Amino acid sequence: MNLNKQQMRILYRNLVRADHLNRMMYQRMLQGKLIGFYHPSDGAIAPGVAAASFLNKDDNLSPHHRGHGITHMLSKGIDIKYYLAEHTGKDTGCCGGRSAFHFSFPEHKVYMMSGFIGYNFAPSVGWGWAAKRRNLGQVVMNCSGDGSYGQGRAHEALLMATNWQLPIIFYCENNGMAIHSEISEMHPTEDVSSLAQGYGMPAMVIDGQDVFACAEAALAAIEHARKGKGPTFVEAKTLRIKEHDMGTPDLRGWEARSEEEKLALMQRDPLVLATTRVLAEGVLKQDAIDQLHEEASREVQEIEDFADSSKIARPSEEQLLAAAFAP
Amino acid sequence: MAELTLVEAINRAYAEELRRDDSVFLVGQDIRGGIFPHTMGLVQEFGPERIVDTPIAESGMYGVAFGAAQEGFRPVVDFMFGGFSYVTFAEASVTTGQYYFLHGSQHPLPLVITAAVGTGMRLANDHAMSIHGTFAHHPGIKVAMPSTPYDAKGMMKAAIRDNNPVVIPWHMGLMQERGEVPEDDYIVPLGKAAVKRQGSDVTILANSVQLKHALAVAAKLEGEFDVEVIDPRSFVPFDMETLLTSLAKTSRLVIVDEDWESGGFAATVSARVMEQGFDLLDAPVIRVTLPNLPVPGGYMEEYIAPNPAKIEAAIRQVCA
Amino acid sequence: MITDYVMPKLAMAMNEGTINEWLVADGSHINKGSPVMVVETEKVSYDVEAPVSGFLHIILPVGETVPVETLVAKITDTEEEWQSLQGATAPASDEKSTPAGAAPVVSAAAPAAALTTARIKASPLARKLAAEAGLDLASVPATGPGGRIVKRDVLAAKNQVTAGPAAAASAQSIRVPMKGTMRGTIARRMMESLQTAAQLSASWETDITRLLKVRQKFLAIEDQLGTRVSINAFIARAMALALKQVPIANASIEGDDIVLHASVNIGVAIALPGNTEIDTRLVVPVLHNVEQLGVVEIDKRIKAIIARAREGALTAQEMNGATVTLSSTAGIAPAGLTSTPVLNLPNALLVGPSTPIERPLVRKGKIVVRTMLPISATFDHRILDGEPFSRFARALHDLLETPELMLA
Repeated sequence: MNLNKQQMRILYRNLVRADHLNRMMYQRMLQGKLIGFYHPSDGAIAPGVAAASFLNKDDNLSPHHRGHGITHMLSKGIDIKYYLAEHTGKDTGCCGGRSAFHFSFPEHKVYMMSGFIGYNFAPSVGWGWAAKRRNLGQVVMNCSGDGSYGQGRAHEALLMATNWQLPIIFYCENNGMAIHSEISEMHPTEDVSSLAQGYGMPAMVIDGQDVFACAEAALAAIEHARKGKGPTFVEAKTLRIKEHDMGTPDLRGWEARSEEEKLALMQRDPLVLATTRVLAEGVLKQDAIDQLHEEASREVQEIEDFADSSKIARPSEEQLLAAAFAP
Repeated sequence: MAELTLVEAINRAYAEELRRDDSVFLVGQDIRGGIFPHTMGLVQEFGPERIVDTPIAESGMYGVAFGAAQEGFRPVVDFMFGGFSYVTFAEASVTTGQYYFLHGSQHPLPLVITAAVGTGMRLANDHAMSIHGTFAHHPGIKVAMPSTPYDAKGMMKAAIRDNNPVVIPWHMGLMQERGEVPEDDYIVPLGKAAVKRQGSDVTILANSVQLKHALAVAAKLEGEFDVEVIDPRSFVPFDMETLLTSLAKTSRLVIVDEDWESGGFAATVSARVMEQGFDLLDAPVIRVTLPNLPVPGGYMEEYIAPNPAKIEAAIRQVCA
Repeated sequence: MITDYVMPKLAMAMNEGTINEWLVADGSHINKGSPVMVVETEKVSYDVEAPVSGFLHIILPVGETVPVETLVAKITDTEEEWQSLQGATAPASDEKSTPAGAAPVVSAAAPAAALTTARIKASPLARKLAAEAGLDLASVPATGPGGRIVKRDVLAAKNQVTAGPAAAASAQSIRVPMKGTMRGTIARRMMESLQTAAQLSASWETDITRLLKVRQKFLAIEDQLGTRVSINAFIARAMALALKQVPIANASIEGDDIVLHASVNIGVAIALPGNTEIDTRLVVPVLHNVEQLGVVEIDKRIKAIIARAREGALTAQEMNGATVTLSSTAGIAPAGLTSTPVLNLPNALLVGPSTPIERPLVRKGKIVVRTMLPISATFDHRILDGEPFSRFARALHDLLETPELMLA
């Protein structure tokens, strides 16, 4: 499936925004202006942008935890200011400041992020079941990393999705690392997507640094699902430039990754690759690119202003107790 | 009014709610054919799209209910035996309980978890354990347990209509318990206890099969002790007011609970009574619970589990 | 090493004791000779001491009444030994001999037997009711498990208060359980006495006109003597001398034997008024070796033990070893009263003087007014017959009527 220029511009723009927001989060963490922790998404933003940029509002999305889902959510049209407000404990946060670094945007069908890696597999079956039952062409974009496929729940979801031919895209963002463990140690085959074969599910392996290749695969899988043809496994081979989460050492196994190694990874930065291509193919000129960066900087500023000017959420215990159950 | 068994009453609740609301559906393992009779005949009327059998994959099965509930459906997920809910307990307890509150109390999760529980069948631990106390430990989940066919129907309907996760275990020892069940569309509200017998010497708080035992012991001791018997019906929310009102009269409490002693629901009630009703007490609260042992099978559960002899001993002890 | 700690036999007549209190908690380290438990026996409480040093492993809880020599605790040399006992000898409960399987075991942990302190044990409800009624819990007799004051106790005490003169119109009967109280112990002792001994009572009057005059001489030098010598002191002295003349009256039965005691130890019955009508008590502390004492010393010692009895400070030594009993109702009973006292077992004899009365008496053909002391006495016919008893009565009579004989 070939992308048109409009689609490429959308993808490029979201890539720029994701890059700026990732840097915003990293900086804020260094400045002590984020609660909890941050899992930087440097080098790994292309798959998320591609997976979410062409979803409808009523499609389900479970974002990968890297970058705290910001890449995926902004691409789906979610205003990240409510997320930053949440991550800074403000009353304007998407969860009223209760969830720390988690999120919920039910109206966009981004329901949650759990602390359990692989939490999304089982609910995806329910979302897929509901989509199929409604028969309105909705799809489920299930994004998660290679590490999450260690969960037995992944098997159950692949099994049931194929069994019932549910409209689910198992979108594996394989960066080759689960915290500090290399995939070669934790997974027996070269490709995580080889799992799909056992369930009789179609699968693709793509270059996760190429946002356009990722998008072509995602769009194909989405269309397949919308037509009621069942699930697809998409494996985007990506990478991780920075540490697993800020404040923990950047290790491979138990030894530090070398600077040379990380420098090599940076050569494969998805924004660098995409810029070369949009310029080469005349999708965007340099001044348009510059403008996108300016817009992204302004967006970051607005997001930060909104969060920083909001009040810290401090409801009383009584108010919280009254909010424990739905009326 | 029809006289039905407890499982027939649950079956009526399912059928009535499935007819009333298209978003209601059942998901489980072999609930179309039925390991227990409470889902018998439903697939014939509502089809396999709404009486959904999954592979033996508790997480995936629970995921169907959880995800569909987020999508606005009203699933009833049946774990067959309560102990099996532990296979996917992370989702069923933690993730479920926190979903609504942690995400800003903006999006409800209306689902019902049900399963057969309890001793009496000599089946041993996973097939004989109770789950109400463990679920009640996790905030954000309502938990209630029927003691009569009447309550079974009304409670299940209330649970299906509730906008929160509700756990409704039912006790296998009551499977064939018969009782009057109206044809009407009625509900038994979650959070209201029932005073099953008036008395002035001691209050027994007991539920399900243990309620039956408590009432039998109360009748046996008539003339010697005037025993008040309360069925809490619902553990979360818990009707503290009814219990304290009773204790204002009796000043003595025996809690009978088929959960374990350590960290069980009886411990919670005992602590609350101490905190909220200390001055009402004329004797320490006594609990009759499962000892801290995995539930043994064979003939052992008859004397390990709470039983009438233990309840009577507790009454004598608390009235000394 | 693990040492058994048994219910001690603290008095000749002691068959069983009730553990009123553990003074140290289970598992505590105790030193040889330090008080460990309070045992109530018959008419008094004892602080029973540790026979050896070590760690206390309590077996029987507070409230248990057990025969002497019953194992109530163990004392271990080491903490490890103490640990090894945990669970091995579970605290006693109602389980006794029912088969393990069928035992109605309440799964809540059995209440720890230890941790008792001097505080008043009362249920929360009892405390609240007592506070509302303005009752001092210390005055409320406890009938609940382990000596706990429960609701019924407070209601009973409240009824008692309101049943006084001010509320006569709404007077109510009071019902108080005796079990576990001193009243219960006294009741049991009295019945035991009547059922065991062959009791015979006699009464007579003795002219103490001269004795009173002698006493006046003692009173005149009261400051010098350091005490206001009572009639009872003279009576005790006279009893000691009379018993020396009739040794069989200073005896008791122990098992199948009659023991004639070498010294005269007089148990002096003392009524201790309680806070209510029900909890008045009776103790019988002992004056040892009275035959060696003069009236002044006897008088001082009587006063000392009365004071200590009222303080509840009597020692085991002071409660033990009576060979004869003196139970005086002088000053309380109407003048001239005679009675048939119940023996204080195992003593063979009880002497019960009452309130003196003035009577016209024929002396040398003339009617004179004399002060007469009514004396009632009960003796155990199993030990002594009418003849020796009469000799004792006569000797006592003579000594009191002619006090100069006490100089002999």
